[in-house]
Amino acid sequence: MKQVFAYFLAVLMVFGAWALVSFSLARAKGRPILPYPWQAAAAAGENIWTLLSAFGVSALRFLLALVVAFFVGLPLGLAAGFEQKLEQFLSPLIYLLYPMPPVALLLFLYLAFGLGEVVRLVVVVMALFFQVVVAAQGAAKFIAPTHILAVRSTGASRWQLYWHVVVPATLPSVLTAARVSVGLGITMLYIAETKLGILLPPSQGLGRFIEYYTFRADIALAGVVALALLGLLFYVLLEVLERRLCRWKYVGVKGAGS
Amino acid sequence: MIEVQNVSIVYGSGQGAVPALEDISFSVGEGEMVAVVGPSGCGKTSLLLAIDGLLRPTSGRILIGGEEVRGVRRDVALILQDAGLLPWKTVRGNAELTLRIQKRRESVDGILSALGLNGFEGRFPAELSEGMRRRVGIARALALRPKVLLMDEPMANLDSLTRERIQNLILDLWWEMGFTGILVTHDIEEAVFLGQRIVVLSPRPARIRAILENPGMGEHAYRGSPEFLERAQGLRRILEANG
Ligand SMILES: Nc1ncnc2c1ncn2[C@@H]1O[C@H](COP(=O)(O)OP(=O)(O)OP(=O)(O)O)[C@@H](O)[C@H]1O
Ligand SMILES: [Mg+2]
Repeated sequence: MKQVFAYFLAVLMVFGAWALVSFSLARAKGRPILPYPWQAAAAAGENIWTLLSAFGVSALRFLLALVVAFFVGLPLGLAAGFEQKLEQFLSPLIYLLYPMPPVALLLFLYLAFGLGEVVRLVVVVMALFFQVVVAAQGAAKFIAPTHILAVRSTGASRWQLYWHVVVPATLPSVLTAARVSVGLGITMLYIAETKLGILLPPSQGLGRFIEYYTFRADIALAGVVALALLGLLFYVLLEVLERRLCRWKYVGVKGAGS
Repeated sequence: MIEVQNVSIVYGSGQGAVPALEDISFSVGEGEMVAVVGPSGCGKTSLLLAIDGLLRPTSGRILIGGEEVRGVRRDVALILQDAGLLPWKTVRGNAELTLRIQKRRESVDGILSALGLNGFEGRFPAELSEGMRRRVGIARALALRPKVLLMDEPMANLDSLTRERIQNLILDLWWEMGFTGILVTHDIEEAVFLGQRIVVLSPRPARIRAILENPGMGEHAYRGSPEFLERAQGLRRILEANG
């Protein structure tokens, strides 16, 4: 209940600050620059079905990208961190590719994949994928040797070793990394939906929605708020997932061993 | 049952090579319980890992039941130093680990209640006392009814009451289950209480300094008897001698 109240207060504060900024801007420039929250809310109400559809499409796109990034990035990152031979070979490759922003490759991605749904997914996946890989690799390198010994001494296969040790040991940091990269992912989603979404109607993604209504500041702003909410949704989702899957992290006395 | 033949273990190579064991030989008969004592860092854990097939000796060989150890054997269980519990598994999950990995269906309820852990099956290791964690480690090893039980300082860093309780427990379980045991410890009394024979190692690189017979071992009451104290004195003298 307290949590709900805190969120309510936060929303109130954000809207308050927003109204203040709108007011000051209008005062300073002598004409309206940033629509007021209630104007954006009214615009959202008028376009509610387009907006909801755009939100749904974006959410689905993001979810799909997240799932793909996990299913490809997690095994790769874990193997790259845990298998010493692979690590020597893959580490330089990962560190070389990791800082490269997929935005810089937009043109080539467009040439390679065309302007369809695939290219938009690829852009978002690329952003999230490297976050997952790097987090998984880093965590897999520092698994406590006794945990590995404990499972190896049972006669476990390689696969069982991953299942009983490598995955559970690294999951908390991988999920945290994914949560932290939601912001980056949403940015990439926006870029994918604008730069690579010019043929779409406004109902096919929040990025497109915002761009489509560039000249209706109140409607565009409603889209921006929806995009922020989308980010929040995934952030919370990943946190809930982490608390569920890694319950062991949250038990016992804080600061006590093991 | 277990034969350790001229085993040496060296970590690393060249300049930074660390010799841990040097030409260790001893044997353990079927159903026998042998204690291995040695100073801290002398190579006791390395020896157990080698017997469990987790670490290949640099030279020499180890036989169990006449077969050379080339990898982990399913009839050998190891209790790791500090129990080595997986923090993401509950008490039950940890106790069942070996059984599940070996695709065996037995229940761990019996062994958990024998070790006084019933009621705690759903707890995570972080929610337990240190003594309970050690018992979970013991449960995990015994759940598969191993022929050979290797124990790496299972009572280290416990308060003396808990330590004695777990020592008694191990003695009872040994009588009951009849495994062949190797108990590594740096505690003199513990070695005398639980070792039918006591292998004494030198500081690193470990060599065998003596192998003592300890025929009185086997009952709770042995602890504190004049014979017990005398053995402990003797063992202490050997450990403290230089060279
Ligand atoms: N993986 C390793 N790589 C390099 N050196 C190691 C490794 N494991 C152990 N050693 C070294 O080998 C020596 C023996 O280690 P080991 O753990 O077998 O000793 P121990 O008798 O079990 O010590 P303790 O009483 O502290 O448990 C130590 O000097 C240690 O530094
Ligand atoms: Mg040790």
